Amino acid sequence: MTESSSEVRPAKCSHCERPMSTPIVCDFCQALNAVPATTDYFALLDVPRRFDLDQQLLHRKFLALSQHAHPDFHTGDSPEVQQLSLRVCAALNDAYRTLKDPARRAAYLLEVLGGKSSVEDKAVPEGFLGTMMMMQEEIADAKEAGQQHELDRLREVLQTQHDGLIHRIAGLFGEHQEAIACNAVRKDFLGEIRRQVNAVSYVRKLLSLLGQLPARTVGLDAGGHGSAETGRDAEAR
Amino acid sequence: MSESVILGIDLGTTNSLAAWMTPVGPNVVRDEAGSALVPSVVAFSADGQVTIGQEARAHAVQNPLATVYSVKRLMGRGIDDLAADLDFLPYPIVSGPHETVRVMVHGQAKSPQELSAVILREVRRRAEAALARPITRAVITVPAYFDDSQRQATRDAGRIAGLEVLRIVNEPTAAALAYGLDRREDATVAVYDFGGGTFDISILRVSGGVFQVLSTDGDTHLGGDDLDRELIDLITSEIRAEFGRSLTFPPATRQALRNFAEATKIRLSTDGQADVEVALGADRVYRRTIAREEFEARAGRWIDKTLDLCRRALADASIEPGQIDQAVLVGGSTRIPLVRRKVGELFGREPYTAIDPDEVVAMGAAVQAGILAGVQRDTLLLDVTALSLGIETLGGAMGKLIMRNSTIPCQASETFTTYVDGQTAVDIHVLQGERELVGDCRSLGKFQLKGIPPMPAGAPRIAVTFLIDANGILNVSARELRSGREASVQITPAHGLTKDEVDAMVADSYTHAVEDLTAHRTIDLRNEATRVLNAVDKALADAGHALSDEQRKLLDASVTMLRAAMKGDDPDQINAAMVVANDAAMPLTEAQMDEVLSKTVKGKKLDEI
Repeated sequence: MTESSSEVRPAKCSHCERPMSTPIVCDFCQALNAVPATTDYFALLDVPRRFDLDQQLLHRKFLALSQHAHPDFHTGDSPEVQQLSLRVCAALNDAYRTLKDPARRAAYLLEVLGGKSSVEDKAVPEGFLGTMMMMQEEIADAKEAGQQHELDRLREVLQTQHDGLIHRIAGLFGEHQEAIACNAVRKDFLGEIRRQVNAVSYVRKLLSLLGQLPARTVGLDAGGHGSAETGRDAEAR
Repeated sequence: MSESVILGIDLGTTNSLAAWMTPVGPNVVRDEAGSALVPSVVAFSADGQVTIGQEARAHAVQNPLATVYSVKRLMGRGIDDLAADLDFLPYPIVSGPHETVRVMVHGQAKSPQELSAVILREVRRRAEAALARPITRAVITVPAYFDDSQRQATRDAGRIAGLEVLRIVNEPTAAALAYGLDRREDATVAVYDFGGGTFDISILRVSGGVFQVLSTDGDTHLGGDDLDRELIDLITSEIRAEFGRSLTFPPATRQALRNFAEATKIRLSTDGQADVEVALGADRVYRRTIAREEFEARAGRWIDKTLDLCRRALADASIEPGQIDQAVLVGGSTRIPLVRRKVGELFGREPYTAIDPDEVVAMGAAVQAGILAGVQRDTLLLDVTALSLGIETLGGAMGKLIMRNSTIPCQASETFTTYVDGQTAVDIHVLQGERELVGDCRSLGKFQLKGIPPMPAGAPRIAVTFLIDANGILNVSARELRSGREASVQITPAHGLTKDEVDAMVADSYTHAVEDLTAHRTIDLRNEATRVLNAVDKALADAGHALSDEQRKLLDASVTMLRAAMKGDDPDQINAAMVVANDAAMPLTEAQMDEVLSKTVKGKKLDEI
């Protein structure tokens, strides 16, 4: 199983010119470096590029890199370094927010693997739309009748569906990785994952209508409303 | 890492104070009497005298039109935002450029930034006295829910006060820093900050020196002042019922009523009832005993509002109230028993009150200052932006680019193009808020991207980066991708001062600072000159006869000149006259010494000397 399949062209530290094993902080002189344009979020946080990402590892890496990049620790530096730290830290925060949340991570990983965006491919699994439309009607009816009990039940159902979709996505990514290793990727594999990811978006929208967001891993950095707002936010950039 | 101290300042609606970081923890600045709080009140007399703090507040009733309090409520706001406040604030408020306001003080228009700067300068002065060294850099706190305009206004106020503001930090976050500084256990903390004019709730995860804000919510127009108004309403409606429906309340009376209400509210925190007595002139006196239950019945709805915001913040963080390990109370209004009860009910535990609710924010600001100075290396603060940021899109909709509760610094990019051939500038309208329509959100102003190379319509690719920095303040940069040219961004602020306006206010305050310095020097020199003249008088009495006529004439002339200079305001003139007088007095002082020596020597035998 590959740990990280990103093309490694070791960048050189802009300070001491030595090759760097990770994008932002030089192993030798500890200087802060700009994020190369080709770096994806996994490489940026120095974690393996896979869906089943160890969340504890992700958190540790994020904190360690933040200790280097955060503007608070560069107050005495030149304006250029201060600007750099702002940009690098913003990129780190973006990366962490994306990789921490399963749906965002899935959408981002799809993009990195070359799959279509939600704008290009809006398909959902067969039968899914029908189920969703039915749920939407039930929600509307329950809201109008003021049936809190029913709303709670619907919330439970949606939450279970959400978790089920994430579980299926995790399985698919795992299969995908094995298939790549055996050179046996079936056609439209990524499209299949995309359909599941689109479905999650939909379920989240409904959950937000009920005033509840999907449970987060360890509850850190909740910027979760994004996925309910526009398609753009459900996608990582 | 420099040796100079970075001051942590809590610029509050009701009170301001400062603290600085030491190796053993934050220290609050106190005056000789030991008090830390400077009431955020500025009073102006007709002849230009400015009083700040306790003294200004004490004379508020005598000077209601020119005693300015709760300036924080005016920062980054337009006249429309203050419609409800205008009835209660006795000092005149008018509209200013770019949807700001000005306070009219003896015919002069003063911006909220300048008024806040007066308070900041006083806070700074007290700190410099306490620390016996100059202070030029500071961290200033703001409510977490302050928008971009309000934050910029605070930073501008700092500049006008002669301070380099290194960081604007959120009040609940600062409180969390002070609270969690020496604690090493992991905890999920709720900071409930109920101050004079604003309310904030922040949910944080504290773990091994890492302070991570999960969510924050609040209301920048909800505070102790509103509870005062409930009492003012109660009193005024009863007064009208008793003494006449059409009774009006002139500014001095309104100010007095406000004092009564605030004092009553505070009294009811410790006593079950409070007596109110208001003299209305013409032998009319309103007397009333207000019971705590009456106050609580009226205050309840405001406190319930804060609890709704708490629930919203918990939902945003995906945390149940029962998962909160500690509810930390911040702000004077949390002393009210009803607040403590209700917060305790919401979180299912006794709120934490062991830290002084008035001082904890300044202490936290000092900790942040320590982090910036590089002395607090093992503390990492990850705060969030409280409001979503976006731009106006077609049809008056708000298109969100950065979601609320995103960890800062954070950024988003958007690509724009032109609609007309050869167009060299593009306008963007930037907003903050959670609503869908532009009209329901907060405008940050108009951002004009200039210097776009002329191309056919639709050809340019202008990549605009919106970056919210660690202060929670927006930075915008733009680059035209085809040509690679950086576009210049010109900002016309909404609810803010332009750079030119701030520069002018800084220069103006510097002039006043120089004037103050000169006045100070003049006083010192006058005192010294008085001492010189007294010494000359005594010396003349002892040894004046020893001077020649010429020496005596020179000395008399120099004394006359010095007395004349002392009557004037020019310190250099006084100094020069003093030098001449000292020179002219030299033969006299020598003669005086001889006299003294001969007097002591006379009548003594040689071996006794």
